[in-house]
Amino acid sequence: MNWKNDGDDNAALERLFRAYRDACPDPHPSANFMPELWRRIEERQRSVFFLGRWARAFVTAAAVLTLAMAAYLYIPRGRTSMFSAESYVEALAAGHAQDSPDLVEPAMDEL
Amino acid sequence: MLVDFEVIKRAQTGDGAAFNEVVLAYRKRTLGTIARLISRPEDVEDVGQEVFLRLYFSLDQLRTAEVFEPWLYRLTVNAAYDYLRKQRRRMESRMSDLSEQQVMLADASAGGKADHESRQRKQVTETVDAMLSAVSEADRILLTLKEVEGLSLKELEKIYRVNENALKVRLFRARQRVLKAFGETGNEPGVKGTANAEA
Repeated sequence: MNWKNDGDDNAALERLFRAYRDACPDPHPSANFMPELWRRIEERQRSVFFLGRWARAFVTAAAVLTLAMAAYLYIPRGRTSMFSAESYVEALAAGHAQDSPDLVEPAMDEL
Repeated sequence: MLVDFEVIKRAQTGDGAAFNEVVLAYRKRTLGTIARLISRPEDVEDVGQEVFLRLYFSLDQLRTAEVFEPWLYRLTVNAAYDYLRKQRRRMESRMSDLSEQQVMLADASAGGKADHESRQRKQVTETVDAMLSAVSEADRILLTLKEVEGLSLKELEKIYRVNENALKVRLFRARQRVLKAFGETGNEPGVKGTANAEA
């Protein structure tokens, strides 16, 4: 029987797949299958464990660094502090201390 | 089911002996499916181990007994799919290194050593392999599961998580594509001989 001539490609395809099924029986696993599988499982577990440890260490370091930076920014330290006890006018006067004599002095000379 | 759900539950809690029991129950069938999906006997165990490795690390997600087998099939399909994609890339680079004459000589020497029956089997596997390599990995896997493994549409529905109609459409299209490839490879005398021998 020639499958190309009978015009029924579908049936021929099914026959071929059946023949393929018979030609490929379930293989017998080797003796090394289970030991190798457990070796791979343990290897994966180890890598997951180390990755987890590394991730935890990274998170801890990041938290410590964040706290240290927060402390550095918010703890008042003398003149460089972000906060000031001076009033707004005092702070403005202090900021323009150098300019004031130049503006006032010429008027004093004319008198 | 080839094992009690109690055994799977014990395996979920990390019981190595229970996991061994699950693997021993399913490995032959799984390896058979992989062998027919990938058609490379030397890599079957490697892919099989990958399937059970994935099973081990995802077993805790399993909730009910009835989904275990479709789920294992799904892991098998995914591992085979990954392998086939890698293999296709590797094959492309390897085949470009060999001349056509070298390939023919290698085939001839391999064929000379085999007896008649194994040669016929080889011919069938090579024919189906050639046909299935002409279509996508997804088509290849779907057709193998349906036509070679003999899974029902209901079982395929659980594996692919799509409804029956969608599956029928996909199967029809995959069949059409493989038939086209079948027609193309069917012009070779060896293939015709195989089909005749099987008929």
